[in-house]
Amino acid sequence: MMNEGNQTESTADTTAELLLQQLMQLKRYETPETARMTRNKQNIMREVRTAKAGKRKSIGDLLEVSIPWFFAEPKYGVAALFVAFVALQYLGMSARNSARSTGIYTTTDNFAAFEPSASVSTNRTTYPTLPSNYPLFNGQQNQSDIRFVERLEPK
Amino acid sequence: MAEKENKKPDVSPDEEVLESLPDGEQEGEPDDELVLKAQRGDVHAFDQLVERYHGKIYGLTYNMTSNREDAEDLTQEVFIKAFEALPRFRGKSSFYTWLYRIAVNKTINYRKKRNRKRALSLDQFDQEIKTDEVYHALTTKGSPLRNMSLTELQIKLNEALQNLSEKHRTVVVMHDMQGIPHEEIAKVVGASVGTVRSRLFYARRQMQAELAEFVK
Repeated sequence: MMNEGNQTESTADTTAELLLQQLMQLKRYETPETARMTRNKQNIMREVRTAKAGKRKSIGDLLEVSIPWFFAEPKYGVAALFVAFVALQYLGMSARNSARSTGIYTTTDNFAAFEPSASVSTNRTTYPTLPSNYPLFNGQQNQSDIRFVERLEPK
Repeated sequence: MAEKENKKPDVSPDEEVLESLPDGEQEGEPDDELVLKAQRGDVHAFDQLVERYHGKIYGLTYNMTSNREDAEDLTQEVFIKAFEALPRFRGKSSFYTWLYRIAVNKTINYRKKRNRKRALSLDQFDQEIKTDEVYHALTTKGSPLRNMSLTELQIKLNEALQNLSEKHRTVVVMHDMQGIPHEEIAKVVGASVGTVRSRLFYARRQMQAELAEFVK
């Protein structure tokens, strides 16, 4: 009778322990955010590099300190670089086009105006003026072994 | 208290379900070589060590504090401390054990300095938990967890863990959550295997009392 009591108690203990272990195992599903972990690792390595350099910070480190998001999420950094590249291209292109643009435009007083191109207004195509001593062909052509003999006319 | 603890043997858990130490399962260069390179000033080698052990150290500090911001700060401090102390590492124990020792000491000191419990700041449960057999069994009909939300369960578990003393929480986290064998824990905490087992036994008893409404 007493043995039975002990056995029941022991079984209850084992069950409780098993349940506790199962509950503890559920804690393994608590997972940190990947981005936070990446940032944390990068912070560690930045500190390590700073410690190694004896507080002498390189430009790279300074950049990492001033714009950490750029390094924490490289994909955003690359995307930002791409957007900046496209924006610069667009600005450069529009600057070039506006410098030599011709056609109809509106003035600040909302009047329509027309800017003819130089060739249209003068009816002449302008070429850049070159200095008189500027060689149109490089010297190698003059030194060629092939000599002009005569022009072949079609029969 | 310690002497009293030592008298009770631990009911050994099923060791086969526990993960082994990462020494045998690591990919790439062995720790020893990376440590040697890092000692010579190779930051890239240390970076590989950080990559290898970051998750484990974060897991330890997180479960010890139940506060993810504290855990992040502590993880950072642990690795920086390890890097600074690396020239003095003589390889008497494995790098892993040495790193864990730093992490445990740092965490205990950190909490002592604060001298009070911080509010819980918990990582989200992975949605995969819902496919877990254990979770499924615990939330089926007749279980006390049936009507409890995941968040409530998470808070209860973490509160119970935080109510343990530092040394008891250390062994529970390392053994029951991270699957580290008693012998390794003994090396990390600087105690005998028997002491580790008895701490684990008492910690589990206390946890059972804390979670009595579920663990019956």
